Parts: sequence; structure tokens; C-alpha cells
Amino acid sequence: MTEEPFLRMEDIVKEFPGVVANDHVDFSVRRGEIHGLLGENGAGKSTLMKILYGLYSQDGGDIYLDGERLELASPQNAIDAGVGMVHQHFMLIPKLTVAENIVLGDREPAAAFASDGGSDGRLPDSLRTNPVVQALAQRFSLGLEAPESRIHDLAGQYGFDVDVGAKVWQLDVGQQQRVEILKALYRDVDLIILDEPTAVLTPTEAEQLFESLQQLADEGLSIIFITHKLQEVEAITDRVTVLREGKKVGTVPTADITQADLAEMMVGREVLFSLEKDPVEIGDPVLRARGLRAENERGIEALSGVDLTVREGEIVGIAGVSGNGQTELAEAIAGLRDLTAGEIVVEGIDLTGASPRAFVDNDVSFVPEDRLRYGCAADLSVMHNATMKDFRNGQFGDGQFLDYPGLREYAETLVEEFDVRGVHDVTDVEAGELSGGNLQKLILAREIHREPDLLVANQPTRGVDVGAIEFIRESLLAQRTEGTGVVLISEDLDEIMDLSDRVLVIYEGEFVHETVPEEADRGRVGLEMTGGSGEDGVEASAEAAAGAGEAR
Amino acid sequence: MNVELDIGAREDVPTWLVYGTPVFTVLAALAVSSVALVALDVSPVAAYSVMFVETLTSEFGLTETTVKAIPLVLTGLAVYLPLRAGLWNIGAEGQLILGGLAGTWIGLNVSAPGYALLVAMFLGAGVAGAFWAAVPAWLRAKYDINEIITTLLLTFVALNLKNYLIRGPMQGGAGTFPQTEQFSGAATIPSLFGNVHAGLLVALLMVAVAYVLVTQTRLGFEVTFVGSNPEAATQAGISRYKVYILVFVIGGLFAGFAGIGEIAGVQGRFRADFEPGYGFTAIVIALLGRNGALKVLLAGFFFALLIVGGSSMEVALGVPAALTEVIQALVILFLITAEFFKRYSVSLRVDRDPGTSPATRTGSDA
Repeated sequence: MTEEPFLRMEDIVKEFPGVVANDHVDFSVRRGEIHGLLGENGAGKSTLMKILYGLYSQDGGDIYLDGERLELASPQNAIDAGVGMVHQHFMLIPKLTVAENIVLGDREPAAAFASDGGSDGRLPDSLRTNPVVQALAQRFSLGLEAPESRIHDLAGQYGFDVDVGAKVWQLDVGQQQRVEILKALYRDVDLIILDEPTAVLTPTEAEQLFESLQQLADEGLSIIFITHKLQEVEAITDRVTVLREGKKVGTVPTADITQADLAEMMVGREVLFSLEKDPVEIGDPVLRARGLRAENERGIEALSGVDLTVREGEIVGIAGVSGNGQTELAEAIAGLRDLTAGEIVVEGIDLTGASPRAFVDNDVSFVPEDRLRYGCAADLSVMHNATMKDFRNGQFGDGQFLDYPGLREYAETLVEEFDVRGVHDVTDVEAGELSGGNLQKLILAREIHREPDLLVANQPTRGVDVGAIEFIRESLLAQRTEGTGVVLISEDLDEIMDLSDRVLVIYEGEFVHETVPEEADRGRVGLEMTGGSGEDGVEASAEAAAGAGEAR
Repeated sequence: MNVELDIGAREDVPTWLVYGTPVFTVLAALAVSSVALVALDVSPVAAYSVMFVETLTSEFGLTETTVKAIPLVLTGLAVYLPLRAGLWNIGAEGQLILGGLAGTWIGLNVSAPGYALLVAMFLGAGVAGAFWAAVPAWLRAKYDINEIITTLLLTFVALNLKNYLIRGPMQGGAGTFPQTEQFSGAATIPSLFGNVHAGLLVALLMVAVAYVLVTQTRLGFEVTFVGSNPEAATQAGISRYKVYILVFVIGGLFAGFAGIGEIAGVQGRFRADFEPGYGFTAIVIALLGRNGALKVLLAGFFFALLIVGGSSMEVALGVPAALTEVIQALVILFLITAEFFKRYSVSLRVDRDPGTSPATRTGSDA
């Protein structure tokens, strides 16, 4: 192809104190192309995209869209120019509804004031078309009927299942992501930047998204797709640009390159894809949970009678679409969520209704799904966060006084053993300053170093770069070898299949399917995750019917 | 011409800025205030020299400042400690009043040998202040009721309780003035040097207690964690309930000490119009000193200086009382603004490029 690129970013330079985030990067995207942007955390992908979206101003270089030079002083300029972005960390207002979030900043006046005829006659025309009334209505009224139906259509068109009237705080992470995507689509952009959009989607949903994206690209929309997942680059992108340490490594057509080559370009060394799973003798049960029932934030039952037994040296993988009770299950067995029924026994001790402290003291470790909200205190030091559970331990002084030099030393050990990067001084660097992967390593280090009997890991590798994913998965396997019972909740089916000894599929708060990775039929598992009624119609339901007997 | 304003977060705060900002900001606030002074035909130089130089060089000024600083530091700590746990104690004034009342009652009605009476008075005052703070803490910990509202409203309850008690059951002394009996010698806090009473030792001791509590103990670790991220703290098995109750109880204790220190050290009796407002100034003190107990101590002394210097200026130069309050408020305002400049760098760039339209760029890279 020799056509003029739609977007050209030339010689982009952006420096932050002490770091060159973008070091003379050239980047171009063609019209109607899905362009992958690949790189480890801190490689400069987000910075480059934030420059394109007007959030940062570059120190050097130019941006041309459709041949015109762009001066981007704010995201509003970028949106006006036709650039939309779906952020990795959601930019939603929890207290507002889906529709309100989507129209935010792009509001329409209430229908009664609509300027283009079609009035429902609630207001006389003379008043309605009065410029003063119009101006006031533009500023102070909010009409949601028209946007709501448009959003509804958009959602249907791209296969998003979102209730436009629901408040955002009531939605789970996956649904919130869909709202973010809808927000960009709603603004009729020509180029859309997706920052790891599939991180929260199931394989089926991701495929649906890919279909939608392909559809958008066919209609001439350009898409920049930031991701860590190499198979996604292969599956969806036309070309891919790899960044490493702020520099561009290269842009290649996806068809011409293998995953292994991509990984090497990205990390700068060879990456192992297959994990060695040593045979481990499975011991006595560490967790016995019977008939667990719990409610979600909205007071609706999210867990409807779940039985779960985990034995020493066993990884039990729980697969499912986000929002089917995984978060509630993880919190229940980590002692953080009140049960409405059921019992939890850890190592023979009945912990039903016990405080979170009792769970911690009985060697239950927990890696929460939302690292920043539950996993750490972002504005406290790495030392505080590394010792957040173990500061009670007698080794840091008995009585009321705490041995701070001891805490510091302990934190330094964890940082070193788990290769947490970006920490020059454990008391000086705040947890929130670490990249996603390094923060996750720190949290995992803290939870594993206590030598737990039971480890509950909810989405441990979400939004984490390839190098850290490798490390985290190996750490989980090492725990298995040590004889820890591990509950692994993930929406990444490959991860579940690679690591687990046993796989359970959760759907609407119940386990609907159990299998072992060696015998698992991926199609079947995918189907069970969506309640056995996939889009494939006849074939799918026939398959579901055939498997129904053993599943339920 | 193209003017560009760039605001970016600082990665590192230069050392000169850390120590320089308070000095610069105070100077800037004084510069702005001098406009008002000039308008009133008062020489700013004379005014400020009375306010600061004379206050800091005369024995009277130093004594007054120190005496004023005692309750300010103690109530400052009463706000500071809950603030470390992410809670707002807006009601230190009420805890101070209640502490004063309880201590006064003990001072007037109990007899004990030597300093034992004073110890009993302080203990009683501390317990009363702690109790008054424990109520909102319990409501917050148990039922999630906003502590800002409950602590503030309980202050008014305390003030009215005081009005009733001092005009009613606790009224005493000659005549029917709304005040209690004068304290006996045993119930009066002895002076340390000059007119400075030994309450200063209590204040300094409590600064040390708060410092050690926050930086050296397990409870301090828990307080810091709950203050930073209560949800993560719960996940780590830290009891929010315990932390919330304890910071308020200890804070109320400090405020109670402030109350009895002021009554038994300065006033000599409890008058019905005793409403010093220290508990409200304490909120600003705690905000300025929120990074550590020692900073609370410094901020307490600084505000004492502003108050004492302000009233000297009022007397010496006939400046209206309202203006000294304006100066105090400006200093506070400038200090808070300075926090912003400490964290963000602002650079102004002027391009001589007539071709492009002016643009203002803002962006933060937190």
C-alpha cells in the first residue's frame, strides 16, 4: 500500500523529569486499519497516546491527521478533530447513569426544547425557538431520551449488553469498560484509541468486540489497539508497532511475524511461553466452603449456593464472564464479604462469619482484583505496603512498638526476591508510583511470603506486562509445589487452562461445569461461561444439550 | 505573541523550596496585607515590627505567645490524630469545653495532697474530652455517620451545657456573676517561668506522645494505613472500628487537657463566656501540620504569634481588630496556596510567533 497514512506522528519527544518517555518516535496509521501498539509497561505507549489525545503536550514533533497538522491543547480538541480514546483506567462517574456518563460533555437539551421540529407540543413553538430559551436550554437542560435510544442502538449494533439507565457504580468492571467504548463510539470519531480494551472481557466477548472493531474498520474508522496480549495482535491487527523503553523498535505487518518474534521485540530477550508444571501430590483440603450465598453491592444475590473444596498443592481455576459472582466469591473466601448462608472452613477451623483479621491470622492470603482500591494504599511507601499484613508479626517487635528498621529490611527483601522494579528506596517510593506489573509483584510478594495455606488470586495478571505475567504465573505454580491451596479466578481462559489442576465454570453465581484442563473442551467451557446459549444458535444449543447431563 | 502556561506535577520537590515556601508565603501575605494598612494610614513597617519583632523580642510577647500556644498545640493534636486516620475532628472546641468543666469540678470539689489534685483535674478533663469525642467516633465506626457533622454539633451541645452549668449548679464566688468559685492554690497550675504555666510541659509531652504513637507503634501503623486506604486496611485485617475510636478518644483527651490547662493555668476560674475558639483554629493548625506532630507544634506556636502579635498591633497602633484577623486569614490562605506550588511547577513561556493563536496549555502528570 502506498496511500498516504491517515494519522502521522513524527519525531515525537516527551520527557518527564528523569525519564524520556518518548524518544523521537514516528508512528503512522492508515485509514480503516487496526493498528496494534505493543510494549511493556513503561515503554511509552500510554504517553504517546496521551499526546495524541491531547492530555500531554509533546516536547517535540508534529501530529498530522488526514494531512492537517493538529494542535492539541486538550482532549476536547482531539475529539473535535475526530480522535477518541478508551482509557485503561476508567474515566466514569460512578454516581451517574450509563447514559449520563456517555453524554457527559456532549449533552443534548431536553426534548421539549429540541430545535428541529418534531416537538411533542408541550411548549409553544414561539417559546421553543426563542434564542434566549434555546441558549438556556443548551446550557441547563438535559435530554436523555434521544441519546438513550441512540446508545441503545449502538450497544445492540456492537453486541454490548448494557443497561443505559443503570448507575455506573452498580456495574462490574467488564460492563464499565463497555460503557467507555460506547462513550467513544457515541462521539462519531474517525480514529479510536483503545487502551487494553480486552483486559476485562472473556474470550467470547473479546471475539464479539473484535468483530465489532473489524466492522468499524471496514467502514473506514482507524483503530489503535494497545495491548499486552500477543495473540490479540495476531487475531485482530493489520500492522503492529512495538515500543521499548521509549523508542520505536519497528512497525511490521502482523501477517509477517510470529508471536515469539513480537515478544522478543517487546522485551528485548526471549520469552518462555510454556510453563513447566511439576507433578505435585495433592493433600488434605485446606478450604471447605459449603452452600455459600452472598449479595453484591446492590443487595442482589450474586452467589447462589456455591460449594468449593481446595486441597493442598492444588490450583483450582475459576473461569467465567466478569460479573457472575467471581468478585463476591473471592471476597467471601478471603473473609471480606458477609455471607447470607453457608459455611467456610479453613484448615479445619470454622471461619464462617469471622473477621477479615481471623482469615489473615489463619494464613489465608488474598490478591484482590482491584489492586489500587483493595490491594494497596497508593500514597503510602512500598515499605508500608509490603508489610501491610505482616506488621503484626512478632518478628517486628512484641508489644505496642514496631521495629521500623526491621520492616524496612523485610520490604527490601521482598522487593529484591520478587524483582519489583522502580524502587530505589522502599521508604521513599510510594506504591502508587509503581507500574501495574511491579505493583502486582509487590502485592503477590506480600501475600506469598507469609507462606499461606490458602491463596485466593482474583485476576492476578490483568493489565500486567508480559514479563510480569510470566513471573506471576511461575510464582503461583511455585506456591502449588509448596503445598498451598490456590484459588485462581481469571477471565483469561488460557491462563486458567495452563495453571489449573481443576477448572470450575461460574455462571450467575453458581458453578455450572467442572473439568480438568487435560480433558477440557474449550468450546464447551466458553459456552458454559455464557450460560450455554452462545450466538452460534442451533449448533451451540445442541452442544449444550449434549453436555447438560454431566454439567448440572 | 503566544503565551503558554504549563502546569506540571513535580517529581521531586527541591530542598530550597521545602524550607523556602513557608517564608516566602508569609512574606507575600504580609505584602498584600500592607495594602490595607496603608489605606488606614498605618505604616506597614511599624505595624509588622510591632506584630512580629516586638512580640518575639519582648519578654511579655514571648510569654504571651507561649501561653497561647499551649491550648493551640493541644487542640491542634486533637484534630491532627484523627486526620491521620482520615477523619475530621471539627469539634475540638466542644471537647476542650467539656474537659474544662470536668477539671474545674474536680478542682473545686476534691481535695488531695500536693500535685495529686492537679493530676486528678487533668485526668478528669482528659476523660471528659475523650468521652465527648468518643460519641461521634462510635457513630462513625458503627453506623458510618459523618463525623464532621456530629463533632461540630456536639460542640454546640457542649457550649450550652457549659452555659447551664456555670450559670446554674457550678455558679459560685462573690455575687451572682456567671462564673465559678476562684481556684485554690492547690488547684492552680504553678508557673514554670515568668507567667508561663506548667501546662507547657503537658503540651510538649503530648506532642512527644503523638509523635511516638504515629511513627513508632503498631497502632500508628494501623492509623496511617486506615487514613490512606480504609478498604485495603480492612483487607489486611486492620480493624477500622478500633482505629476510629482510638484516634478520637486520644484526640479528645488532648483537647480536654487544653481546656483544663487554660482554666487552671490562665483564667483561675471558669467564666460562662469562656469560648476561646482554639478548637477551630486547631483545624488549620492540624492542616498545616498534618505531616507530623512536630509540625503541629510549630504551627501552634506560629498561630499563637499571629494572635498575640495581632492584638499588640491593635493596641499600639489602633488598627481595627478586624484587620488583624484579615492578616491572619491571608497568611493561612497563602500557606495553603503554597502547597500547590510545592507540588506543581508552573512555567510561563512567551513565543514570538504571530502566526498561531494564543493557547493556554494545562496538563498534569500525576
